[in-house]
Order: sequence, then structure tokens, then C-alpha cells
Amino acid sequence: MPRHRNVSLFVSLLMLLSLLACQPSIAQPEPLSPATLVPQTMEPAPTLAPPPQPEAPKSLVIVIPEDPPSFNAAIADSGYDALAMHLSLLGMAEIDPQGVVYPVLAAELPTQENGGVVIDDASGAMDVTWTLRPDVTWADGTPVTTDDVIFTYEAITNPDTGFWIPGIDLVTGVDKIDDQKFVVHFSSVYPSYLTLFGGRQVVIWPKHYCDATQGFQNWDCGRQPLSDGPYILKEWVTGDHLTFERNPKYYEAGKPGIDSIIIKIVPDTTVRETMLRQGDADIIMWATEQVADDLKNDSNVKVSISDTNRFVMRLFFNLAAKGSTDAKADPNPLFTDPLVRQAIRSAINVDQITGSVWHGFAVPVWSEFFRPPYNKCEIARPKYDPEAAKSMLDRAGWVVGADGIRECKSCQTAKDGTKFQFELLTYSEYGEPLILTQQLIAENLKEVGIQADLSQVQGSVMWADSASGGIEQTGNFELDLYDDGYAGSDPTDFLYQYYYSASADPDYGWNIGRWINPSMDELIDSAYTLNEADRQSAFCQMAKILDEELPQILLFSTLNADAYATRVNGVQANVNSVVSWNAADWTFAK
Amino acid sequence: MTQYIVRRLAQAVAMMFLLSIVFFALVNLAPGGPLAGYGNARRIPAHEVARLKRQLGLDKPMLVQYVVWLVGNDWMKVDLDGDGVADSYGARRGVLRADFGYSFRTRQPVLKEIGQRVPNTLYLMSITLFVALAIAIPVGVISALKQYSPFDFTVTTLAFAGQALPDFWLGLILIIVFYVWLRNPSTGEPLLPSGGIYTIGAPFSIADRLAHLVLPVMAGALGWLAWYSRFLRSSMLDVIHQDYLRTARAKGVPERTVIFKHALRNALIPLITLFALDLPYIFGGAVFIEMIFSWPGMGLLYYQAALQRDYPVLMAVLVIGALFIIVSNLLADLLYAYLDPRIHYD
Repeated sequence: MPRHRNVSLFVSLLMLLSLLACQPSIAQPEPLSPATLVPQTMEPAPTLAPPPQPEAPKSLVIVIPEDPPSFNAAIADSGYDALAMHLSLLGMAEIDPQGVVYPVLAAELPTQENGGVVIDDASGAMDVTWTLRPDVTWADGTPVTTDDVIFTYEAITNPDTGFWIPGIDLVTGVDKIDDQKFVVHFSSVYPSYLTLFGGRQVVIWPKHYCDATQGFQNWDCGRQPLSDGPYILKEWVTGDHLTFERNPKYYEAGKPGIDSIIIKIVPDTTVRETMLRQGDADIIMWATEQVADDLKNDSNVKVSISDTNRFVMRLFFNLAAKGSTDAKADPNPLFTDPLVRQAIRSAINVDQITGSVWHGFAVPVWSEFFRPPYNKCEIARPKYDPEAAKSMLDRAGWVVGADGIRECKSCQTAKDGTKFQFELLTYSEYGEPLILTQQLIAENLKEVGIQADLSQVQGSVMWADSASGGIEQTGNFELDLYDDGYAGSDPTDFLYQYYYSASADPDYGWNIGRWINPSMDELIDSAYTLNEADRQSAFCQMAKILDEELPQILLFSTLNADAYATRVNGVQANVNSVVSWNAADWTFAK
Repeated sequence: MTQYIVRRLAQAVAMMFLLSIVFFALVNLAPGGPLAGYGNARRIPAHEVARLKRQLGLDKPMLVQYVVWLVGNDWMKVDLDGDGVADSYGARRGVLRADFGYSFRTRQPVLKEIGQRVPNTLYLMSITLFVALAIAIPVGVISALKQYSPFDFTVTTLAFAGQALPDFWLGLILIIVFYVWLRNPSTGEPLLPSGGIYTIGAPFSIADRLAHLVLPVMAGALGWLAWYSRFLRSSMLDVIHQDYLRTARAKGVPERTVIFKHALRNALIPLITLFALDLPYIFGGAVFIEMIFSWPGMGLLYYQAALQRDYPVLMAVLVIGALFIIVSNLLADLLYAYLDPRIHYD
């Protein structure tokens, strides 16, 4: 018996130890101070004024599936980092849901009209002079100054520890004029200069608090930030939740309107939806089409839906042969003829896909310029017309074979007898809607005599660099299907990365179709101007070329939506940022 | 026995070394890479990819990466700024000096990431296993003693159902029943919470902790319960037909003593061995249970690290998991010898 008693004791001891071991990680928050400077006011976090109405809920709960990697959205840009970042940190400027840039830390937006932007006609260089608001302080009372901006710039550009952000390659330096004014020097005109240190991904970091030696990517203040935004991080229990409290030093009088915000990590979609229905959650960030559909008749829940998403489901043609990255020397036998690409577009029934798979929430898209403020080009929506598709394929020299699959007969791009059969590839993480979309596209193509063999891989395989065997960078694909689009409201950098000839070089850009068009290069070059009329004109000319050439087929924009409880006011989905972009304006309904 | 333990430990060290090589090769040779993230990360330019690789140590040949992972690079000069000149010492100390590196995703020390999750997993899984055993033992015994009775048929049916039901499905059903449908009559609140370890912001309370444990333990324990009860039933059936029990009864030993002193003790020996072999789950956790019940444990950490190719986290979980398995195997062998005097390892 003593032996068995020992075994029982062992098991009991194991359980007791695990219970005890659990306590610290659950009960104790991570220390708020980073390695170096610890502002006195951060410990304890500033106390809050009692809520005006005791019966009103105190905390707003946002549910998301995984932890933010950090508060620095410039590094991973998972979206959840941006969610947390916008609760507690500010950039120079932000973008609203309509694509309009507005000042945040900046007193006003610098423009050529107000003298804030000066372009040297001789060299093409551009200087942008910013003025900071005088009334913004960090949570410890230290004013936000030019030193913080320069500190952030130097951290980003540090060759050992920095991290690239869009547009930073064009910046030659940032100079201090005084504590409130600084000038950013660009080597050439950069249209997105307003959101270089702002927008969805970038904020200004406190020089006196962050430890520069730890580096921009790794510094502790990226996980325990010192706020200048509406909320202060009080507690982060990894994998479980983050708790924020109102920043009493926030610069906008009377804001934020809610005392505390909890970001709760709930990995399962169904459970997140159930929590919202039950009143245990207030916001589901990035509600899926299924969730939006489920919730549409729930009187306690609303869904804020953007007009479009930034992400467009699209087909990427590889215009080089599979395994090659040179479309000129080694053209793709199936897709090289633009008439074939036009036929494939005509064969796909986008409305059927959006209605049946995406619950009617997906919006058909056929041009890169579908979002404000550049959605002014008149490109007619292509028609779903399988008969026209068959006719085009016939004209291109692809005739229906004995087995119903088309084969080359004087098609110019392949040997006679070549079957029109290829691999249609997508990534597996998106889940059922994308898989069903892939199947419907294959069925549509089958109707016109094209055989698409379906396969899926993980995104980490599809988009890896060439040395890691990335399928796209090595050109080892035929037709890819996934969602993509540009962050912010300016498509210029995106166009360069996806359609410029230089971006066709492996590992340089994402012109993975290796589509080369000198006219497009010239137009993209010409879009790097601050003259909005010229930019709009260039974009519309690009839209026409893209519509004729079809290096990609754009299908539809997926849903950008945030579901929220009706007891919360002010929640508005923002395709240019994340749901917390206006968190300071949120209130509980009385 | 001491000699045996020393020999097994020496074998374990060699085994761990070999396993670490296999794991490292498998993790790194799998197609894809950690730099193929989503969103903006997909569009970073080539020079930035090169810099990131350098910063994360991914630019070196795999053998060098393994050596750095194992013994660190603070003893050799590395090229941090990409000028082609190795001019400063590295900062990694290597696994042998308890440095598992930094997570690619969060840039936090891997051991810190794991340290935040392990207690939660130990907490849930040890209680789950304990509950499963506490119910499975009497159920298994009664089932064996009353073989082919209605109780036995019922338990057998439930056991098969318990093993067949997927965790995630059962978890969702439990949430619907106990979180959505059933209400606390006095407060009107859901009878049980949908997930998490405790109520955020509420003062510490044992009752609150237990309320959060009920559903994940129910969902997790059912499969184990079915497995252990079936095993014990079979083991008991083997034992109760042995001659020495007939002899004990013939000598007039009371039935209770025959069952609990002579039969159960022997029937439990293989079960305890089995339990020891299952101990690694206490570290590894259960992905679906953690996912459904928002339980921040090791299973979820590993799952996310695998999806995002977070090599340092993956390697640490694999290596520490392998260590648990080796130690559990050793423990099972030792327990077996301890509980069964017929077993000798010398």
C-alpha cells in the first residue's frame, strides 16, 4: 500500500504544482516598464474617474483570434498589431474610410498650397515640413516632440536593426527645425508622403522610453508601449487578453468615451460569434461573410461594412512557362495570347460565385482603381458570356478536342495538340470560401473546354522568397488564385510592385506573371507626382491597358466588416486602417 | 537500478542530439519560409528580405544555422550590417546554454513564450487526466465485474462514442448547451463561461477557476475516460480469471479484498504504465480543446508556430516535447519495475 500511496501522492503533487505554477502567469500582468526608462506615472497605471452611470458597462470587449505580434504594425502587419497600436499610439496622419488623410499628431497636413511641400524642379527632390500639435503628451506627461520623430526615423533606418516601411527608400534624411517642426527630405516626389509616418502601419515612438539599442523590431516598448493615444495598456496576458484603460492625458478633450477596452483572444470563429450574440463581446474585428450573414437578423448586433475591401480576389497568370521567370525567352504556351486571357475572364460567372459562396457580401471588381479617391475611370464591367469565351478561344486557335478539352490547332503559342490543361493553385489558410471559389471557377472553365486541375498550398510556400522555394518567385505555377490589394488609399507603390517591368525580377517585386509593358512603366513613373489631375489621368490610362492586356483577372472584393453590439456607438469599419482607427470616439449607448 | 537509470539517461542524451538534428532538418527543409507573411510583408523589397534573413540568421547554410541554434554565436563574429565583413560577436548563446532564440513572429525569447503557456497547459491537462482516471477506474472495474450487464453495455457504448466524438465538435456542443441554453437561475447569466481560464478583471476565486475548467475538462476528459476505462476493463477481465484469485476466494478471503487488494492492484499496473506514457500530453496540450475554449496553452502555440513557420518556437516545442516523451518512457519503465516485483532491470 505505501507504494500506491506514493503514486497517488505523485499525481496529486503534479496537479498541485501545475495549479500553483499557473498562478503567476495568470494573475500577474507583465511589467509595464521596458528595459530602460520607467516613467513614474506608468506604475501603477493612472486611475480612472468613476463612470458617470454605475449601471453602464465599464469595459468594451473586442474578440480576435490570436495575439498581436506586438504593438508595432510596421513589422508583421497582422492587423491585430495595428488594432492594439491604434488604441495607444499615434502617427502623424491617419486615413478615414473614404480614403481621406487627416492630421493626428500633425497640426495640419503639409501641402504645396500651404508651403509645407517644396519640390526642387531641377533635382526632383521634395522637402516636406511638418508641424506637430503642441498639446500631445506621452502618458507620463512628456511632450511629443520632433526628437521622437527623428528617433523613430533613425530606428526604422538603422541598418542592423531597422525595418523597411513603404517610401522610406526615398527619404534622404529628417532634420529638426525646432521641437515642433521638422522637415523630411525625399530624393524624389513621393505621393504617399502624408502617411509615411502614419496610416495603418506606422506611428511615432517615444525617444525617452524606447531603448534604441534593442532595435525597432525587438524593443520592449513594442510590447509595453508608452501611450500618446486614447488608451494605455494595463495588462497583457499572452494568449488570453490585453486590457487597456483610458489615457487621462489624451489630447482630445472628453475622449475617449469608454473607460476600458479588453482585447480577448478567442481562436474559434463560432465562439467569437456566440460571445457577441450573448453580450460577452462587443466587437468582432474582421467579421467573415459567414458571420455577417449569421448576424444580419440579430437585433442586438450590427455589422459595419466597408463599401469594398482592399483585398480583391484575383487570378494571376504566369506568362512564362511553368518553372521559368522569363516570359520573353520562355513564354507560357497557354496564357501568352491576351485573347485567351480575355476568354477566361468571359467564362467566369462572378455573380454566381459572390452570391453562392460569399453570401452576397463580395463586390464585383474589374479594375485596380475601384476604391476612392481614384475610382473615377470608366472601364465597363466585363460580361459573363461563355459563348463569347468559346468564340475567342476558337479564334485563338484552341479548338475542342475529342474529350471535350480544347487543344492547340495553329494557336501560335503552343505546339499543335497541346491540351488546354493547367494547375489552378490557391492557398489553404483562407478556408472553405476560397476552395469553393476555386471549384466554381474550374467548373466555369470546364464549360468552355478548359481543364483546371485544382490544388492548394500553404501561403508560406506560395509567397516565400525564391531561395526558400517560393512557388511564385520561382515561377513554378501556372494560374494562381488569391486575394490581394493595397494598404492605405494610394495605389502607386502597389502598381509598381505588381506591374512594373523591374518588379518581374525574382525576389525584387511581385510582378510574378512577368508581364512587361513599356507603356505601363511610363505611366507608373508618371504617377509619382503630387498633381492629382495628372495622377488620375495616368491611373485611367493604366486601367485601360490592364483591361485590354489582363495580366491579372480581378474578380471581386471580399468583405471588410466589423460586427459590433448595438450598445456601442461609433464603430465604423475602415478599409484603409483597422476598426480601432476611431476608438477614441466610441461610446456606450445610454 | 541506478546503473540502469544512468545508462538510459546517457541514451537519452544521444537520442536528443539525433532528434534535434532530424527536427532541425525537417523544420527547415519543409517548403516555404517565415518571410512569406501576409499583408505588407509580402511586398517587402529584395534588399529588405536579405536584411531580414541576415537579422534572423536565415542567410547562413543550414549546418551553420544548426550549430548556432545548438551552441550559439557569441563566440564568433557575424556580419550584422550586411557589408560582407564579420565585425561583431553574435548574441545567441545556444540551446545547450538554455537559449532557444527569439520567436520570428513576436521577437520575444522563445523560452518566455513557452513559459507563459506551459503552466496553463499543465493546469488543464493534469486535471483533465486526473478526472478521466478518477472516473475511468471505477467504471472500468464495475464494467469488468459486471461483464455483459446493462451497465457494461451502456458504458461500452458510451466509451466507443467518447472515443469517436471529435474534440472540437463536442466542445462546441458543450458551449451551446452550457453557455447558450442553460442559465444560472439566480443571476440569469450563462451557466458556464464559454472559455478562458478566469473572468478578466474579477478578483481571484476558486469557484470562478473551476467554472472555467468544467467545459474544457469535460470535452478533453471524455476521450481519455473512454480509453482508460476500456483498458482497465480488459485488464481486470484478464486478472479476475486468474487462478490465484480463485485460490484467495477458496481460502475464504472476502470478495471486497479479493477485488481491491488482489485483482485491482495487478490490473492497475499496465494502466499506470499507460498513464506514464501519456504524460507528455500534459506538456503538449490539446490543440482543438485550446482553440474552442480559448485556452492559451502549448497546443495553440505550436499550431500557430507551425502555420507561420516560426522556426525557433517550433524547434523548442519539438525538442522539449521529445524530452518529455523520453523521460516519460523512462518513468513508465521505472514505475513498472517499482509496482511489479517480478520486473528487474539489472
